[in-house]
Amino acid sequence: MLWLALHFHSLSLEVFSRGAAVPEPLVVVEKQGGRTWVVACNGAAEACGVHLGMAAPAAQGLADGLIVCKRDLSAEQESLAGLAVWAGRFTPSVSLEPPDGLLLEISTCLSLHRGLANLLKEARSGVGEMGYAATMACAPTSHGAWLLAKAGIEKAVRETARLETILAALPVALLGQPPAVLEGLERIGAQTLGDCLRLPRGGVARRFGQALLDELDLALGRRPEARAFFVPPASFERSLELPAPVHTAEALQFAVRRLLPELEGFLTLRQAGVQELELVCRHERRNNTVIKLGFAKPTRDAGRMQLLLRETLGRTRLEAVVHTLVLRAPLVLPLSASSADLFQKTREADGDLLLERLRIRLGKDAVYGIETAADHRPERAWRPARGPKRAAEPNRHRPLWLLPKPLPCHDGSLKLTSGPERIESGWWDGGDVARDYYVAEDKSGAQLWVYCDRTSGEWYVHGVFA
Amino acid sequence: MAYAELHCLSNFTFLRGASHAEELVTRAHELGYAALAITDECSLAGIVRAHVAAKEVGLKLIVGSEIRFKDGPRVVLLATNRSGYGKLSSLITRGRRSATKGRYKLELDDLADGLPGCLVLLFADPLPALEHAQAIAARFPGRAWLAVELFRLPDDAERLAAASELAAASGLPLVAAGDVHMHIAERRAMQDTLSAIRHGVPVFDAGDALHPNGERHLRSFSDLAQLYPQALLDETLAIAARCQFSLDELRYEYPEELVPPGETAIGYLRRLTEDGLLRRFPTGTPDKVRAQIEHELALIEELKYEPYFLTVHDIVRFARGRGILCQGRGSAANSSVCYALGITEVNPSCMEMLFERFISRERNEPPDIDVDFEHERREEVIQYLYAKYGRDRAALAATVISYRPKSAMRDVGKALGFDLEQVDQLAKSMAWWDGRKVNPERLAEAGFDPANRKVAMLIRLVDELVGFPRHLSQHVGGFVIARGQLSQLVPIENAAMPERTIIQWDKDDLDALGLLKIDVLALGMLSAIRRALDLVSAKRGQPFAMSDVPSEDPAVYDMIGHADTLGVFQIESRAQMAMLPRMKPRRFYDLVIEVAIVRPGPIQGGMVHPYLRRREQVEPVTYPSEEVRGVLERTLGVPIFQEQVMQLAVVAAGFTPGEADKLRRSMAAWRRKGGLEHFERRLIDGMLERGYQEDFARQIFMQIQGFGEYGFPESHAASFALLVYVSAWLKCHEPAAFACALLNSQPMGFYAPAQIVQDARRHGVEVRPVDVLASEWDCTLEKAEEGTHALRLGLRQVKGLSLEGVACLIATRAQGPIESVEDLARSGIDPRDLKCLAAAGALTRIAGHRRKAYWDVAGIERAMPLAMGHVAEPQPDLFPLTEGQDLVADYASIGLSLGRHPLALLRDRLQRERIVTSEELSGLPHGRLVRAAGLVLNRQRPGTASGVTFLTLEDETGHVNVVVWRDLAERQRRALLGARLLAVYGTLERHGEVAHLIAGHLRDLTPLLGNLVTYSRDFH
Repeated sequence: MLWLALHFHSLSLEVFSRGAAVPEPLVVVEKQGGRTWVVACNGAAEACGVHLGMAAPAAQGLADGLIVCKRDLSAEQESLAGLAVWAGRFTPSVSLEPPDGLLLEISTCLSLHRGLANLLKEARSGVGEMGYAATMACAPTSHGAWLLAKAGIEKAVRETARLETILAALPVALLGQPPAVLEGLERIGAQTLGDCLRLPRGGVARRFGQALLDELDLALGRRPEARAFFVPPASFERSLELPAPVHTAEALQFAVRRLLPELEGFLTLRQAGVQELELVCRHERRNNTVIKLGFAKPTRDAGRMQLLLRETLGRTRLEAVVHTLVLRAPLVLPLSASSADLFQKTREADGDLLLERLRIRLGKDAVYGIETAADHRPERAWRPARGPKRAAEPNRHRPLWLLPKPLPCHDGSLKLTSGPERIESGWWDGGDVARDYYVAEDKSGAQLWVYCDRTSGEWYVHGVFA
Repeated sequence: MAYAELHCLSNFTFLRGASHAEELVTRAHELGYAALAITDECSLAGIVRAHVAAKEVGLKLIVGSEIRFKDGPRVVLLATNRSGYGKLSSLITRGRRSATKGRYKLELDDLADGLPGCLVLLFADPLPALEHAQAIAARFPGRAWLAVELFRLPDDAERLAAASELAAASGLPLVAAGDVHMHIAERRAMQDTLSAIRHGVPVFDAGDALHPNGERHLRSFSDLAQLYPQALLDETLAIAARCQFSLDELRYEYPEELVPPGETAIGYLRRLTEDGLLRRFPTGTPDKVRAQIEHELALIEELKYEPYFLTVHDIVRFARGRGILCQGRGSAANSSVCYALGITEVNPSCMEMLFERFISRERNEPPDIDVDFEHERREEVIQYLYAKYGRDRAALAATVISYRPKSAMRDVGKALGFDLEQVDQLAKSMAWWDGRKVNPERLAEAGFDPANRKVAMLIRLVDELVGFPRHLSQHVGGFVIARGQLSQLVPIENAAMPERTIIQWDKDDLDALGLLKIDVLALGMLSAIRRALDLVSAKRGQPFAMSDVPSEDPAVYDMIGHADTLGVFQIESRAQMAMLPRMKPRRFYDLVIEVAIVRPGPIQGGMVHPYLRRREQVEPVTYPSEEVRGVLERTLGVPIFQEQVMQLAVVAAGFTPGEADKLRRSMAAWRRKGGLEHFERRLIDGMLERGYQEDFARQIFMQIQGFGEYGFPESHAASFALLVYVSAWLKCHEPAAFACALLNSQPMGFYAPAQIVQDARRHGVEVRPVDVLASEWDCTLEKAEEGTHALRLGLRQVKGLSLEGVACLIATRAQGPIESVEDLARSGIDPRDLKCLAAAGALTRIAGHRRKAYWDVAGIERAMPLAMGHVAEPQPDLFPLTEGQDLVADYASIGLSLGRHPLALLRDRLQRERIVTSEELSGLPHGRLVRAAGLVLNRQRPGTASGVTFLTLEDETGHVNVVVWRDLAERQRRALLGARLLAVYGTLERHGEVAHLIAGHLRDLTPLLGNLVTYSRDFH
């Protein structure tokens, strides 16, 4: 057996930064014990003095223009699964070591990849292309390889005896043991795995539990291991959040390149190809732009895909900035299968056809419902509602028709019939009003809602009673 | 036209009222109102302020309260006379006592007795049920009204009509009222903000929780006339005329049970005094003291203050009986009577104090005696008071907790919709030294643009909100004790602490009404002194009390003169230590001055340097007149005590003693409220008239301003000076006992256990480590060679160790020898406690070094019940910790180390960087450029020192005093506030024995400490 361990030491950062180069200082933060801590940071942030384990506000104080991202565990999970899919190109025996590791059993596929050195080179460049970084180590046991990779010892160790020597020097903190056990080991001065191995086994088991011994044994190959292997999903869809919004289609290419190797690994693992790809660009407050790529024949060649993408993107004009990119293979075909068009699109009729049509005709914002809002200022006491809303209690002192904007009123013949109602509110948003409202009747007998602005003394018409 | 406002909330109706009581009173007076009722919701907490302000401007104030009944309508109750006031106060007490802190619960049935002496206004909005209106009318015959409140809303007319109908149906007459929440309409934004804070939503989401307009202010007559029928306005005057009660009618009645039956109060006091004199002066009372006693007793009898002295005497007697050390201070404390009664220890024959200075005929205010008790045992005294007088007669005074910039920033920030992190940033940007105003620069530093509209709004509102009361908390120890029901005098409510009750008035309120209060305070130093005296007694085999401490010992003054005062009461602070080598105190009165002079008052008033120059005879001692000489002679012509400033106002500016006292009160409050200006004119004119130079007059006024709330009265200083002397004597002659007592009284004082131990060892005390075989819970003294004693660290130093664990350990130790961890474990001590002991290195004698001990202890944890006996297992080879690791473990577990100082371990490295030790520093001349480094012991930025920060660094040879000027502090804020190990490059400044390092550059060396945990005591 020979295991290759990949430790993605910066995964929590890369899920945010791999879409594009981020020159600004960037940190990933996580809430723990009521405070927010820095759990990852990029080089620019480090240069400002930010370091791991720092309180988030302190980091903000150090670096101007610091980008702060909340740790996204599900994105990390998704990334790791994507990486596992990609790793399928090397071996079908890929195992996850959450949250940030992959373990590949490679003894059977070395010759296919022209030897270990070549395989490692391929793996490293593949990881880099996707915008990740990993430390890699090989060992006869999966856990041994993993400990080496976590320790940053990028070695390929083939013999168990040598593995034991190297592992013995590693710090105990690398072990996957609960904090209480690690603290206990520190208390007795056991700093390395070797220190642990030198302790009487019975005594260790009594004090620190069998699990510690099991882990050490596993790493050294003194205990058989049973790892579950990764089963790839049936279809492919991967999204990539862009650290900074992208304006041009060309700029998207960089990001797409990050996703293609995963697709390729996926297809290799499935012995399949695609004939159509969808690139979905997500915008803020706007419908997605969907760019479709069609191939003459099913393919899994990342190079070909990239070529076609470049051309297509070159001809595409983006209507808005893109914040997230999704690469989707709606249909995976056996590579040998025919390229016949297997699917036809049918469009579901929208529930509310009239509304849809009106909106298309008049513009999306021209058709809306209304709802009341709790604000004393009449013009802010209602707001557009997207969906149907429960009707609010009508206020009998307010007119049904409120003018879009109060109109100056110089009609001296108005007769004030009731009032004043004094409204003074809204200082907090720059729209402070101080008005005395009256109901007035004009010559034609129409009931108007007028007010006198208490600051300027000017009169305005604000509404008409039905 | 005339009007009286009968419904008005001050900001003591928390988060509703948007104006101070004083503002409301002043505005009502300006508008020409016939009267103003302050009717805070179920509270009289703001009424005394309003009363004082109303008296000042000559406005009639009505005492009342708004109440919302759980089961019914909302009313305002107004007191017409003293008994009605008592009823109202009792009702509020009932409501407050039956709910948790800050809430109240009352039902209509609570009005069953009709509250004779009170009037009631039932509010017409929302319209109450007819049955409620009829019930009120029946319970308050001829004393109830239906109050209509109109705010220019569209349905005003309809509401007036509905109210009239109800009035007709129920027989209640109508009256106008204003539901006033603010004194002027411009407070609208503030009022909206308070509503938003109250509802816990941002103001833009508060919607209908906000009032639709700003009409709830004190409105002008013309506004009112437009809204209300004349008859309703006139009715307010009729009601106001019936309210004849004034707070001036409140008379305090002393408890009377202290006098034994058949004796008069003065006779009993005289008897106690004579008994005391026999004890104090077994060989006969000196004539001077005798004369003074007679004078004082005559004055006490004339002013009927006997019960006060008897009350204090009773408390002190109780404490003494329990062996609780206590000492009185305060204006009346330093009288000969108090000395005879055992309330104080300052011998009047050593002091030249005039009792009359502290109790005056003219002032007509109760004497003031504060009694300090050992901080850990004060609760016993409080419980004694509750038991003796009962909870309906004794309660603690309130302390009004007001908005400060930080809390205001937090609440307003949230109300304006800043997000939580921003609010935190904002609040944090307000450092503890930034004072009461928002500093826009600080906001800019924290990344907020002060020019931004929202930020500008925030600053304005925060400035307005600062000083608003937030809630009532308990005073540190001010007790009010009444002859009868206290709730007839002032409402009592629940405090946050269970079983604690407080009255709704604070110290200033009590003062303003001339009500008596006894301060039962906690003082850590008394605990330490008592412990030290006990240790010395045990050591010497005979009782050794405070009175056995020899007075005026030159060795003690020598020690003080070298600023060797770590741990000594008061004079251990950085500023005091800097002063001592210049002051060189040689007698008790010097200590009195020392205590008083290093205070913000004298420092800000610029008294310190003139005094020192005169003391060092660099400057001649002169007086502008004989009268002034009389006042200032004992302090070399420089006013140092609060009383001297008041006396100066009398002798040099022609103030009456009553006026001088008013001046003193204003001095205490001007920082909060301002209002010294008219005294300034009066004082300076008065002094010019009497032929003093304008310069001198201005200087005196400046000194008065500087005194502010910080000036020390001579009597306080004298009581404190006594503790200074006693603690210094103990440090000088019984250093082991003193250090031991300090450690056992932690937390207190300026220094942490690590420094106390360092200091004791520097003075030759042998300190022994925490040891499971020898240590008690407290630190103890153990016999050492040649009749000396060593200090054994106690288990109290061990972090995380439980009290049960210690009890278990000590019980086991009593049963037989402990030879192994297993012996210990058999006692049933919790494995967690064992781990703490191992971490502390306390198991060394039974298990070896920390690692071995931990191995043994961890083996216990998973073992079977201990009856199973010994499990044979091989012992691993565990290496002992290195010196550095041991040090880290020491600090982490017991907060100090008996090993070498951390800096000693780093010295080679520091030396390469040309960093010198504090010892080397003391041999270097003035003006030398030097580098020093040390653990940061404390940071101080006195409000008086215009932005200077003082740091104390500690290295293996002693302390380094560092001065950081403001511009450097701003530039290197991070290193200054964050570093635990700091290097300072700077210039040595030396005046005689006093040396300071003036910082030019700071370097944060904290990373060199690795995992070492150290703490700095920063005074906020």
